[in-house]
Amino acid sequence: MGGNIWKWVKRVFWAGLMIFTLGFLHYTLPQHDIVRVTNTYNRLTTIGTENAWAYSVPDTGTAESTTTRDIRFIEAAFADGSVIVYRNEDTGWIWPPYFKYDSSNLQAEAGNLKSIAEAPKWLVVTHYGWRLPILSIYPNAVAVRAATSVDEQIIPWVSIVLLLVFGFAVFMVRRMWLQFVDRMVDPALAGVGEAQDRAKGFFGRLFGRK
Amino acid sequence: MLGLIRAAILGFALLSVVYGVVTIYARSVWREGLEKGWDSDPAREGSRKDERDAFIEAGMEDYRHGLRRKLILLVYIIPAVAFGVIVYIVNAQ
Repeated sequence: MGGNIWKWVKRVFWAGLMIFTLGFLHYTLPQHDIVRVTNTYNRLTTIGTENAWAYSVPDTGTAESTTTRDIRFIEAAFADGSVIVYRNEDTGWIWPPYFKYDSSNLQAEAGNLKSIAEAPKWLVVTHYGWRLPILSIYPNAVAVRAATSVDEQIIPWVSIVLLLVFGFAVFMVRRMWLQFVDRMVDPALAGVGEAQDRAKGFFGRLFGRK
Repeated sequence: MLGLIRAAILGFALLSVVYGVVTIYARSVWREGLEKGWDSDPAREGSRKDERDAFIEAGMEDYRHGLRRKLILLVYIIPAVAFGVIVYIVNAQ
């Protein structure tokens, strides 16, 4: 009975961690949209506590006040007519690590590439983040360039490389941990069988195999 | 600009932790390799413990002067280069 509950606690824990990690990566890694820019503007925007995580931290170049600040936006339309709104903010120097400080230039580029539905100029907008209207959050545009065609195929090299690096890091952390247990913990515990059993409490059951 | 300095300090601190952990790991793997090499060598069957210790110490001394240990400095170099490349690509027109 007790073992059964722990099995479920363990599953929920790992599933939660997995979902959080995937969501985090999906939010942070760059994505590409093929769109036509329809409008660019600034809007005085008030940021609440619920969506502050999806805006730049206050001390980056374009974001000077914590709660109400002028934010640049880029409105765009997809080929199928659905629309998307990007914000265009500096990222600052820590997270997410795009180190973007050319928001003004990007706004000018986007404005310069504006087009109407009858004569569309298709663009590739690189961005990260999510558009969630209920939280009033917008993906942050990072770069814009002309697309070769409306159905250009884009290979996400950056994401591929970063996921490989991330996978390698996880693999190495695991190997280092096992090496540590093998070489340091096990020899230390070899003489104290009783202590070993007691040590396998909450975390032992959570991370242990079986 | 202040943000950049803060990021540099934070990044250096973070990478120093990584550097320290990788150093310990690499040393541990090297020592384990030496131990296993000695223990699995039939010619050394029944040799004394101090001979084994001396062999391992000599091996660790080699490690201390080897290239492998210096390669761990890449822990600092690769992220710094990646930082420069990202800053350039993201902000170049």
